[in-house]
Amino acid sequence: MSAPIVTTEHLSKWYGQVSGLNDVTVAVPPGITGLLGPNGAGKSTFLKLITGQLKPSKGTVTVLGQPIWDNPGAYFKIGFCPEQDSFYERMTGLAWVTALVRLNGYDEAEAAAAAEKAIAAVDLLDAKDKKIGAYSKGMRQRIKMAQALVHDPGLLILDEPLTGMDPLMRRRTIKLIKDWARQGKSIIVSSHILHEVESMTSNILLINNGRILAEGNVHQIRDLIDTHPHTVFVRAEQPRAFARHCLAYDDVLSLRFESGAVVVQTGKPDAFYARMTSLAATDEVGLIHEVTSPDDNLQAVFQYLVK
Amino acid sequence: MTSATAESTPSAVPPAIPKARRAPSLWRAAVLIFDLSLARMLWSRGTIFMALLVGLPVVLAVLVRGVQAIGGPDMQVDGKVITGPTIFGFMVWWLYLRFIVPVLALYYGTALVADEVEDKTITYLFTRPIARGAVLLGKFLAYFVCTAMVVTPSLMIVYFLMGLSGATLAGTFPSLLKDLGLVILGLLAYGGLFAWVGAQFKRPLLIGLVFVFGFEQLALIIPGYIRNLTVSYYLQSLVPHAVMGEGVLSLLQSLVQQKASLPVAVGMLVFIGAAFVFLAMRVIARREYVLEQ
Repeated sequence: MSAPIVTTEHLSKWYGQVSGLNDVTVAVPPGITGLLGPNGAGKSTFLKLITGQLKPSKGTVTVLGQPIWDNPGAYFKIGFCPEQDSFYERMTGLAWVTALVRLNGYDEAEAAAAAEKAIAAVDLLDAKDKKIGAYSKGMRQRIKMAQALVHDPGLLILDEPLTGMDPLMRRRTIKLIKDWARQGKSIIVSSHILHEVESMTSNILLINNGRILAEGNVHQIRDLIDTHPHTVFVRAEQPRAFARHCLAYDDVLSLRFESGAVVVQTGKPDAFYARMTSLAATDEVGLIHEVTSPDDNLQAVFQYLVK
Repeated sequence: MTSATAESTPSAVPPAIPKARRAPSLWRAAVLIFDLSLARMLWSRGTIFMALLVGLPVVLAVLVRGVQAIGGPDMQVDGKVITGPTIFGFMVWWLYLRFIVPVLALYYGTALVADEVEDKTITYLFTRPIARGAVLLGKFLAYFVCTAMVVTPSLMIVYFLMGLSGATLAGTFPSLLKDLGLVILGLLAYGGLFAWVGAQFKRPLLIGLVFVFGFEQLALIIPGYIRNLTVSYYLQSLVPHAVMGEGVLSLLQSLVQQKASLPVAVGMLVFIGAAFVFLAMRVIARREYVLEQ
């Protein structure tokens, strides 16, 4: 069996009196691993600890065989795509990614070439010379991913990378992540949406209240999630047209309108997402701008698991 | 969804033979951070504040020259006419060195890393193979160049409006160079100090304001060595027109006036700047930043 890419032993992190992560011992294998948990579960804390942004309050972290805290050399092999939507807004995508990869020891020409390649990989070449401030949410997510992979790291750590993407870009990004894994990269990807994680990998870490509840095969819990109604928030150009389509689906339990959006409850999230992706490819309901899933679906499962 | 309608697969990064890379040296990394930060600093939310600050003496100088040009009365103190160069000297000390330089240093110095933390962009810099200290050093260099680029033209404009009157450029040019050097030394020393204050403390602005407008003012009029703990003492030692103000404060200052020698004053200002930047780099290297979710 291959050596684990990330190992933690009794890892804990406190923010003052508040526990962010509690006594986590885990060995993450190579390949794609999904870190699944509701908002506030400790996913971001875990990712910040394994990317050396936070110092453990207790316990140890080893990434690719090296300690990560205060070890800048380790970042040659790690690419991190953070959750926060923060950028140097006045820079173009190309200039920003180029500037960042220069910090990895690339000279100017190499950096520009690597940045262009990474931007092409996330399908953003057309917008490379636009200022990031003018990017859509999905484009911003993709340029964040470009800066993470620009130095061709062996380990990619992606914090909620699909947030804000439209259904088709989601599918393309998931495929991209799987392609990277096939090329030998290891990827840790966090999400609060089981459906997303499941489409990338069957290997998951379930996290809640700062503890790892389970690790292993996602299929063992997928049945659980299907027994709970799944809420999907869809911001669409024509929400009423979209809702009309939804009403024809047996698995749609309820729907309500919000400003420019439809909030749907479905009993079969897999089938719903698949149909929505197909629908988005047609012009029948106009553009689908954003699809998000509030974490209450997963929360329900966690409540069930920890009972 | 326009570009997403085609179902073509996005091109994945082709496998490449990884090239062994060396991390940039501390200085090289700092220069790269400087490149990344300079434009951002020049066009930040503080730009208007900075423009107002350095524009203030220019406006005052234009007003004084305007009054003189329309035949207004000369400024007099104790019956003596205050000439343009005297007003210029007064402005260099009281406006530039005692107000604009410390305030700019406080505003930018304390925010060197805080701005990146607040904007949550620090993650991109701290997950690269460079020493964290290089981030602070690069941003300090950006602060230094950015403020020097703005303050020195302001000082030169005021000099041409006020300081030159009745004298030749050749005759007073060395004095102008000295004043420019003083401003630069002030930006260095105060900037370094406040970079450390910003890295070390939770309320850096408050601490900085108390230091500049409380402690330093007081220390300069108290006899003894406490003044050696201020930046303004070393700056004042280099300014011939430092105590030409009127009033009780200036009188007290003149009574206890002491000066450091030129080499000591210059050396101490450079040392203060460098030492506090070094300390700030150490703090940044050890500190963790918890970004608000």
